[in-house]
Amino acid sequence: MMTTFIKAISATPGKPAGSSRATETAAKLIDTTTCIGCKACEVACQEWNNQQVTFGNFEGTYQTLPDLAHNFWNLIKFHETELDGQPLWLMSKYQCMHCVDPGCLKACPAPGAIVQYSNGIVDFNSDACIGCGYCMTGCPFDVPKLNPETKKVQKCTLCTDRVSVGLEPACIKACPTNCLSFGTREDLLRKAEDRVAVLKSDGFGTAGVYNPTGVGGTHVVYVLARADQPESYGLPKNPQIPWTVSIWKGPLKWLGNALLIGGILGTFLHYLRYGPQDPE
Amino acid sequence: MDLKTPNESRLTRFSVSERVVHWLVALSFLYTALTGLALWSPRLYWLASVFGGGTTVRGWHPWGGLLFVLVFASMFRNWRSQMSLDRDDRHWLRKAHHYAVHDYAALPEAGRFNAGQKSLFWMQSIFGILLVASGVVLWWPEIMPRLLRELAVLAHPVAAMISIGGIILHIYMGTAAVPGSFRGMIQGWVTPGWAASHHPKWYREHVESTGTTRAHSR
Amino acid sequence: MAATFGRGAMTNGWTDVANADVVLVMGGNPAENHPVGFRFVMEAKRVRKAKLVTIDPRFNRTAAVSDLYVPIRAGTDIAFLGGLIHYAITHDLFQREYMKLHTNASFLIKEGFSFSEGLFSGWDEDKKAYDKSSWNYELDGSGYAKVDPGLEHPRSVFQLMKQHYSRYTPETVASICGCSAAEFEKAASIICSTGKPDRQGTILYALGWTQHSHSVQLIHTAAIMGAWNALPGYLRSPRANQPTLAAYLNETTPRPLRPNSMNYWSNTPKFVVSLLKAYYGDQATRQNDFGYDFLPKVGETDNYSWGYIFDRMYAGEIDGMISFGMNPVANGPNTPKMLAAISKLKWMIVAECFETETAAFWKARELAEKYYASAPDASRINTEVFLLPAACFAEKDGAFVNSSRWAQWKNAALDPPGQAKRDQEIIARLFLKIRQLYEQEGGSAAQPLLSMAWNWQNPISPELSEVAREINGRDAAGKQVAGFGALADDGSTACGNWIYAGSFTEAGNMMARRGQEDPTGLGLYPNWAWNWPANRRILYNRASADAAGKPWDPSRAPLRWSGSSWSGDVADYKADAGPEAFGAFIMLPEGVAKLYATDFAEGPFPEHYEPVESPAENALHSNVSSNPAAKVFHTDRDPLGSAKDFPYIGTTYRLTEHFHYWTKNIAGTSELQPHFFVEVPEALAREKGIKNRDMVRVRSARGSVEGRAMVTRRMRGLQVGGKTVYQIGLPIHWGFIGRVTGPLVNNLSPSVLDPNSGTPEYKGFLVNIEKI
Repeated sequence: MMTTFIKAISATPGKPAGSSRATETAAKLIDTTTCIGCKACEVACQEWNNQQVTFGNFEGTYQTLPDLAHNFWNLIKFHETELDGQPLWLMSKYQCMHCVDPGCLKACPAPGAIVQYSNGIVDFNSDACIGCGYCMTGCPFDVPKLNPETKKVQKCTLCTDRVSVGLEPACIKACPTNCLSFGTREDLLRKAEDRVAVLKSDGFGTAGVYNPTGVGGTHVVYVLARADQPESYGLPKNPQIPWTVSIWKGPLKWLGNALLIGGILGTFLHYLRYGPQDPE
Repeated sequence: MDLKTPNESRLTRFSVSERVVHWLVALSFLYTALTGLALWSPRLYWLASVFGGGTTVRGWHPWGGLLFVLVFASMFRNWRSQMSLDRDDRHWLRKAHHYAVHDYAALPEAGRFNAGQKSLFWMQSIFGILLVASGVVLWWPEIMPRLLRELAVLAHPVAAMISIGGIILHIYMGTAAVPGSFRGMIQGWVTPGWAASHHPKWYREHVESTGTTRAHSR
Repeated sequence: MAATFGRGAMTNGWTDVANADVVLVMGGNPAENHPVGFRFVMEAKRVRKAKLVTIDPRFNRTAAVSDLYVPIRAGTDIAFLGGLIHYAITHDLFQREYMKLHTNASFLIKEGFSFSEGLFSGWDEDKKAYDKSSWNYELDGSGYAKVDPGLEHPRSVFQLMKQHYSRYTPETVASICGCSAAEFEKAASIICSTGKPDRQGTILYALGWTQHSHSVQLIHTAAIMGAWNALPGYLRSPRANQPTLAAYLNETTPRPLRPNSMNYWSNTPKFVVSLLKAYYGDQATRQNDFGYDFLPKVGETDNYSWGYIFDRMYAGEIDGMISFGMNPVANGPNTPKMLAAISKLKWMIVAECFETETAAFWKARELAEKYYASAPDASRINTEVFLLPAACFAEKDGAFVNSSRWAQWKNAALDPPGQAKRDQEIIARLFLKIRQLYEQEGGSAAQPLLSMAWNWQNPISPELSEVAREINGRDAAGKQVAGFGALADDGSTACGNWIYAGSFTEAGNMMARRGQEDPTGLGLYPNWAWNWPANRRILYNRASADAAGKPWDPSRAPLRWSGSSWSGDVADYKADAGPEAFGAFIMLPEGVAKLYATDFAEGPFPEHYEPVESPAENALHSNVSSNPAAKVFHTDRDPLGSAKDFPYIGTTYRLTEHFHYWTKNIAGTSELQPHFFVEVPEALAREKGIKNRDMVRVRSARGSVEGRAMVTRRMRGLQVGGKTVYQIGLPIHWGFIGRVTGPLVNNLSPSVLDPNSGTPEYKGFLVNIEKI
């Protein structure tokens, strides 16, 4: 069992009770160098979350869908390229990164629709979601997707229902090659660094850990053989919460509020000081 | 009905259709602004409850915006020709602070609309376009390119804040600050005195064109 | 493989692959087709820094995680492996000690054996078969094979092998396989690095998937690849010229070929008699040869493997078919012929959990007219089809046997839905009904059926645990035998399958065990389920130690001799016999692994032959281009194409997202790969004006398929004999029935069969492609 508190909550003034309580973190490590693209994680995710099945169009690739979908939260991206004249076929699992500083939560205007638990899991609460889609813009990884029927936004929950009762996420349970592992963020970051050291000693000078600082780090951490070009894996190079969202939720909020209150107050004061223009 | 002012001394300020359009613009703006404010700040989210809950607000706010645009377009068509700023208007704007302290002597005379009203008209037009453009992007985020969405999340509230600020001023001016003008927009008429005082140029034109201070019968 | 080592099975478990230093993948795509087992390859890579080499027509999922990938033309594996043998011998990269001790390299072959211009000695052009008498060992006065321990005799297997493969130079291999000589040599240097004496331990399980041996393993690999499909049943079928049990046993029980050969098959009479007792119970007596007469006998040259059955069916010689747990219309080659063959049946019973293409064969024309315009119209088909709803795997108990030979018992997760019944109930009800009809009405050959023992507690639906107990076998006292050592040839024991003796003993169901102890640390897990035979985790494990029983690699030793007993795995050897007593390969009359095996129809050494449909002539011997002993059928529905009309090679394969033709009925897996597609090399696509996602039609002499193109640089043009040859990838898995549908790719494949196993030539045939 994992005890968790709410650490951050969308569109709610003040700090939630759990914000100052430290608990064990939950995280996922994806070692892309051992991914064989078998899609077991995709099926496990679909099954565990009881997703509605849709048959996509043929897109000319092994990849199941071009992008994540509201009913498809775990996608292996296949990327064909070449290195020194040899084919290179990169496969890497894509899903919510569970950012330490989640852009979705920052952008969300609906109180309680997005929460971050003290273990680091960022979860969407459909009951409170109003379907505005701001989270889709706030997320630098393009993860949340709107369900056009329910008008709710959905994404990977890091199997918070499983994690809270002491189980690993479904994708990790299903992975046959140990490409995926589950643990505390601290342990997995250490494990990732160890693996990178091995890869480097094996001649992969470009190996590295993907744990982007632009979003305060993530609870889904990658080991990449070509960490110099994460785009090849379908990962943004320097993900950051869009500056427009940051301004909007930061200075603009104060400025705007000042303008509103100032406007109302100003006219009132004007009336008190100068009164109405010549009465008829 | 104001029974104190006899019909003969009532000047028609706004026609029925002008008033209908204005109030449609006003109501749609009010609805869209209030529901928008609910999503603007968590501390105003209670407004969402007033208007039927967050999901309803999210669903209807864009339609309110769409209605606003349509009726505003109609208003724009009606008034655009009367809203061009002439040399007097530009002079007026430079002396606007005199207006704020009721020092009308320093100001050029105003026509049917004074330079402040004209400015508001253009401001609302420009920011209305910005609101619509960014609003459409925010309406269907799932099909909009990321760059547009990122710009829209900033442009929409910026435009809304300025627009709402302008409207706060407009409401103040149209009600408390200038007694008599509210009736002009509700019942459609003003007294000759009001007209001569606030819109002397318009008043003169009116007298000249009709040869009388009497209003047309509606 | 059975011919090389004595058993046709994977020698080690998947768990054991983690101990490898070099893993060669060829003729398979384990990351795609065995993703769960593949975890141990990734573990070897991660923990041991093992090198993974993939040789395949396509840069596939396995290649994606490989250290080296070499493209190869479909159907030229033996040329590549022959090249590896040549490379290892010329660079002295094999372990002479092992070869002397554990293989037949030192055996002498009779005078008169030869190979020239693509034919071994003894070829009979009329019979299209070899007279193998000239291939035999030279025997001494006692009937044992003569040997030259120095491996110098010109007629020793080693010298013959060296000579045979001297033609497989890197340049020749490259021009046959279509890779470059440099690519071949790079692969060879990695693979053969395991053969250096100072790395002797590091070569365990290095090559192929199915073999366990030391540094001569690449030579074994050649043998294995040659024998890839040779999987005889565990007892041979009685033939018409073996009228009595004695005659049958006399001909099928082998005699030892070396004085130290344990020759385990000398126990054949015990296994056969025990099986007959299991079949016929009290009706099997010494007087009636234990019911040997009841067994059907096949003609001297009869062949009842796949292609032959359907060829006869097409000829109208077969009245009915019971299809259980398979889907021949989809699985078999040459679907148009398959459909025509089945429509000649009077009746067909299909027991399945889904409607299959076989059960719905009569709808083929209606559902997929563009492929089967010439198929008979449903109104003109007289076959009566009975589709029996059967339980699926999760709805029945029983044992799964995996590639590691683990028999793992599992329980039913839920009951079959509706009227669906479990297999044993369907079979039992059919049997009881047929027996009743025989009793009432008689009929030809009633005796064998009426004599069958049917003593199940619930005759209508026997419990599978009861069946498992019978398979294990029981002794005279009715007790479960502990192992096949307890079986007798006097009729006192009964055993359904000697290989599984020991799986369900007096101690209980050994297959249901879930012990996770690993005392050797090699991932053998002796208490997890039960490993046939004798719970032995690694076959031929005796060969992992030298003559004195000392492991070649002490850090990874499945077996060692303590001076009085063997420890580690269950010895594939006599448990209390010293290391010098017998040869390491107890199943073979030679007692050693066979680098030279007379068991194969096309020759004792694997030789490169072109596929029957090939874009190139055989670079080694153009007069005998394809396998002279391959079975080619000649009906009007068995046309072969020429490179002029069909210039490209079609190669079929499976995808990890699907399981055969089964999962297209399942929403969850169909979602992952809903559409049939055709993988087209980028250069060919450019030539043909085909863009990614365009609809294309692929045709062969047999039929066509249509689907979207996946234009990819993962398949490249190959330089074969000086010209560019393209291959086209065709995943199987779709059909005209299911949640998702698509063409059956076996519309394209020919009914050309491997002469040893009857396996069809799916992997390489000629096609053409066009944009539509």
